[in-house]
Amino acid sequence: MNNKHISCGIIALLILALVQLTLWAQNNRIKVQDEADKAQMAEDDASSQLLREQSQLSDLRRQSADLIEFLRIWQPYFLTIDNPQSAEVNMSMRVKDANLLSLSQRFETTPVKGNPSIPSSMKALLTFEDDYARLMNWLGQIEVQMPTIRTSNVRLSKGTRANDIRMDVALEQPMLTK
Amino acid sequence: MQISDRQIDDFKTDRKDISPPLPVVLRLVPILFYCSIAVALILSSIFFLQFRIAIAKRDNHIAQTSSLVAQTQQSKNERAALEAQIKKATDIQNWVNGARPLQPLLVEITRSMGPKTSLLDLSLDRAVDDPGKILMAIKMGADSTKQLDLTMARISSMNYRAFSPSQTLGRGVLDYKATLVRKLPQNSPPDGQLESPQ
Repeated sequence: MNNKHISCGIIALLILALVQLTLWAQNNRIKVQDEADKAQMAEDDASSQLLREQSQLSDLRRQSADLIEFLRIWQPYFLTIDNPQSAEVNMSMRVKDANLLSLSQRFETTPVKGNPSIPSSMKALLTFEDDYARLMNWLGQIEVQMPTIRTSNVRLSKGTRANDIRMDVALEQPMLTK
Repeated sequence: MQISDRQIDDFKTDRKDISPPLPVVLRLVPILFYCSIAVALILSSIFFLQFRIAIAKRDNHIAQTSSLVAQTQQSKNERAALEAQIKKATDIQNWVNGARPLQPLLVEITRSMGPKTSLLDLSLDRAVDDPGKILMAIKMGADSTKQLDLTMARISSMNYRAFSPSQTLGRGVLDYKATLVRKLPQNSPPDGQLESPQ
């Protein structure tokens, strides 16, 4: 082997190196193009997921419009009295203002089953003995002025005096979670 | 001095270091080298451009994907908040359904009593598991069930229906028990739309 052969060999190696360099560049391009394709697929997936999600959201909004409107109207009434103490004071004041003959008043906090948004209520157990019309008017006013209150039971029976009736009533004031 | 040809030849030294020429095929190697440089430059330039374009595309897609994922998450959060509102509204609706005023019913029952009938005892209890149902118990002083029929008609006019009735009549006292369930009036809003508070 002489110098010319060695030169040829070196040049051949350089050619090989150039080919390798070109192949490396191509591989890099292919690799990045694959990544770009995968990124595009991920974008398409994310886009379709967003469309699905937005569709579900708009469907839910449309279906629940009445309920949300109902909540918008009613929630302020539930938030007016939000703790048992204020409920008890409010009820006591209403009884006192009505000037009814109250035989007993008892207040207790009771759990509400199957209603996570209203976990408890303040129950007022009241006994009156007074004129029929006054009692009915008072109960009617309470139910109108406090529309969230629930009359869980009421019992009318004869009073000790001729014109009086006895009314045992249990009124529940709901405690809505915020 | 005359030098003979033979002697002149003798002065030449042998050139042993001159290599023989390369074969014709190997003479193509330099040409191939220059061509390969040119081709490599052209191809590498194309690949580089495509590489840069692909990187730009990839980065753009990644940025778009991130934005879409953020929007999806926001939409999911909105849906979760809406579902919580719906749950709350449903709970409130359940409460309100079981909190319809009883006073008008009481008044209607007591007004239905005729002059010859005395109402001895009247109780209305909401069922614990379903507050929409009202357990009614009436004890009245009456000799016949005519008064009861009248009272039940008045109750029906208040959009309540009586289920599981039971009655006993003896010694001028009529005991009547039934479960009252509210029937929807014809002009009532559809299910899920309750009327506003007065």
